[in-house]
Amino acid sequence: MSGRLELLSEQGLRLDGRRPHELRHIKCKLGVFEQPDGSAYMEQGNTKVLAAVYGPHQAKAKKAEGNELIINCQYSQATFSTSERKNRPRGDRKSQEFKMYLQQALSAAIKSELYPRSQIDIYVEVLQADGANYAVSLNAATLALIDAGICLNEFVVACTASLSKSNIPLTDISHVEEVSGGPKLTIAALPTAEKIAFMEMSERFHIDQLETVIETAMAGCREIRDILEAAVKEHLIHIGSAADWARVC
Amino acid sequence: MAYVALSEAEKTFILHGVEVISSVPLFNSLFKVSLFLQEDFRCDGRSRRDYRPMELETGLVSNASGSARLRLANTDILVGVKTEIDVPNPLTPEFGKIEFFVDCSANATPEFEGRGGSDLAQELILSLQNAYESPLAFDYRTLCLIPGQQCWKLYIDILILECGGNLHDAVSLAAKAALYNTKLPRVTATLLDAGITDLIISDNPYDCTRIGTDAVPLLVTVCKIGDYCLVDPTAEEEVCSTVSMVVSVSMRNETPFLSGTHMTGGGSMHRDTMLNCIQLGLSMGEQLNKLLVKMLKAEETRVGPKRPKTVGFLK
Amino acid sequence: MSTNAMIELALDRVDWNDLAGNQEQLPRVFTPGEVLMPESGFMRGHGTFVEEENIVASVAGVIEKVNKLISVRPLKSRYVGEIGDVVVARVLEVGQKRWRVDTNSRLDSTLLLSSVNLPGGELRRRSAEDEQMMRHYLDEGDLISAEVQNIFEEGTLSLYTRSLKYGKLSQGMLVKVFPALVKRRKMHFHNLPCGASVILGNNGYIWIAPTKGEEQEGGEGGFVQNLNEVVPRSEREVIARLRNCILALAKCKLMLYDTSIQYAYEESLKYEPRELLQQHVMFDIGQQTQARLRDVDLVD
Repeated sequence: MSGRLELLSEQGLRLDGRRPHELRHIKCKLGVFEQPDGSAYMEQGNTKVLAAVYGPHQAKAKKAEGNELIINCQYSQATFSTSERKNRPRGDRKSQEFKMYLQQALSAAIKSELYPRSQIDIYVEVLQADGANYAVSLNAATLALIDAGICLNEFVVACTASLSKSNIPLTDISHVEEVSGGPKLTIAALPTAEKIAFMEMSERFHIDQLETVIETAMAGCREIRDILEAAVKEHLIHIGSAADWARVC
Repeated sequence: MAYVALSEAEKTFILHGVEVISSVPLFNSLFKVSLFLQEDFRCDGRSRRDYRPMELETGLVSNASGSARLRLANTDILVGVKTEIDVPNPLTPEFGKIEFFVDCSANATPEFEGRGGSDLAQELILSLQNAYESPLAFDYRTLCLIPGQQCWKLYIDILILECGGNLHDAVSLAAKAALYNTKLPRVTATLLDAGITDLIISDNPYDCTRIGTDAVPLLVTVCKIGDYCLVDPTAEEEVCSTVSMVVSVSMRNETPFLSGTHMTGGGSMHRDTMLNCIQLGLSMGEQLNKLLVKMLKAEETRVGPKRPKTVGFLK
Repeated sequence: MSTNAMIELALDRVDWNDLAGNQEQLPRVFTPGEVLMPESGFMRGHGTFVEEENIVASVAGVIEKVNKLISVRPLKSRYVGEIGDVVVARVLEVGQKRWRVDTNSRLDSTLLLSSVNLPGGELRRRSAEDEQMMRHYLDEGDLISAEVQNIFEEGTLSLYTRSLKYGKLSQGMLVKVFPALVKRRKMHFHNLPCGASVILGNNGYIWIAPTKGEEQEGGEGGFVQNLNEVVPRSEREVIARLRNCILALAKCKLMLYDTSIQYAYEESLKYEPRELLQQHVMFDIGQQTQARLRDVDLVD
């Protein structure tokens, strides 16, 4: 495991001053736009993502196979989102991959059986990329789905984790930490059921360490879930109170 | 353009609102029509020369040298300016370079998914390129570092997040605001042996230069509905229009100049109408430009040089 | 030639949450995956599912109990139709013996040729000629008002317009809001005292049009559109003002029904119709309307 930067200082702090298990600061908002059925904005540190959901609506005939719900995703990254300018916002291998992973993780959460012959479009747009792009995109997509009133088994949230040189697991990896060459593990989980909907790992580490790194990412997922849940509840209270809960009674 | 379905009756309603309501004979010259302009009343209560309220914020993308977000009713544009050092074109050794890129995000409408928005994006890029082409509209010399050797290249990356009509105007306003916000690191050239110059780029993020944006053009879409011309069409009004003029207006010494114009849409218009459209566009462009500059300065004074935080998409 | 253009700074953006105010009794809100209660003795309704003998929420919203039926209603979603609902819909496609229409539902809805009134009396048989004339009656893009007659197995709504109050819509304006903002009431057609009529579709599509005179009453239900008639300026002003008021209420997340719209309209009179597009004005209208609605609630 040589040839890469030490990610922890002697005081046990990370490059951006966080402790190993600390998440970056999360801010989010539901219902950012009016035209989509659901939308959300999410910031995790300097990674900023917009997500929009259209549907459920009638599935397009050419795509429909049988009666199943079609979950259609697109991952796109603004050309100015990275420090080095990107040539195109999508269509490259990475965004195709993320699109598939989004589809995979969201399918585990959406109650597809309720939406026969329908289609849900989920579009994410990364405005600023500073690590854990996929994870933040998925979290934003979950919020947008909730905003659209689509039935879910539960929140599906993603978190990344890595391992410092001294084998201390790190939560929520920033871009600098990603490129410093440590291993990177991304997990999308249904935290309450403790189910893993998607997992991806790069670089190498010893199998003995896998367990702890997975647990670190899972702990991160649980923490993010709680933050998102609080945000959703606050949002509901705000819009419900404005109309004095008239639509409820 | 995002597809908006309208019935004949809805179109008629929009059309009648744009036209003079009382049975006043129609004149072709703008001067005579303006006598009755008080009569016009669009679906949202505006007159033919009114814009919908806009909202502006600059400096909200930290990875870009300059950025701006402009919301015009439901139209939402985010622009980031990225910079890079390049070699000038041999034909114009003293000029820097600008490249536009427009991406229509699928967040705006599912029709833009994949390559669905590329035609619209291309149209917007061409309009902007046209408008910025003249060195009098944009002073390319300010981007020159060493004539014939090194210059700045600006990438103006435009992201369309929501579509509510009148994209050209919104995009050009956002681009100008982003350029105003752009900070280029200060570059000093040192002469090395054998006539080779070396560039030293300042590391200090506050040691930077700005781009002159006084003459940077704005686009004004003048949309012809029925026999009349109006500005800032909504998406529904765009459907009712057969032809529009995109007029690009560049200010110099407090006077509006035309820095390019083209027609969009399938229809045709009379020569007099076209001239009237251009006149209207110039006049609107001048006022928009004043307003934009005023608000950019107001924002600058309020946030100060070290911006504490941005509003962005929160709140 | 001067223009009314206005650029505001994001720094001054209105905080719409300020309308929430201080509420003493907040209902409990649930989020997807949250356990509502043990299943025993209850039935699960919309927005819930059963897992490990518990009823669990699948959407974010408020709990609703009707006898033993437990459901969670999201505060925003696509339109979920119920039989008897009034909707405003747009024709997407003319098919054989049926029109495919958009009602903002999960699936496209259907209007059968046998569910519309044809010219020449209600009890006429549908002939092959009628089938050929379908596009003449309702073409793609046309708007109709209708009632939900039936819900097919997979959720497709079947509409009908066989009542004189339903049918093709003539000149006017469509405003789209989230369906949950339209209050379910007995009446969805209103001739407002301000001088225009609105159809508050349960599906969130709201139609604003000039009020029809007495002699034209009952003229709807057919397929007549008077495209030569010019709506006078005075009526246009009312319609534009209503449009902007409805959008302001929707922006403030206030419920839409005849009273709230009428209040908003009255509060808006101190502004020009075009000023109602400004966020601060929209906020003001929302706040004033909210205050008046709360006063009425107190009296009740």
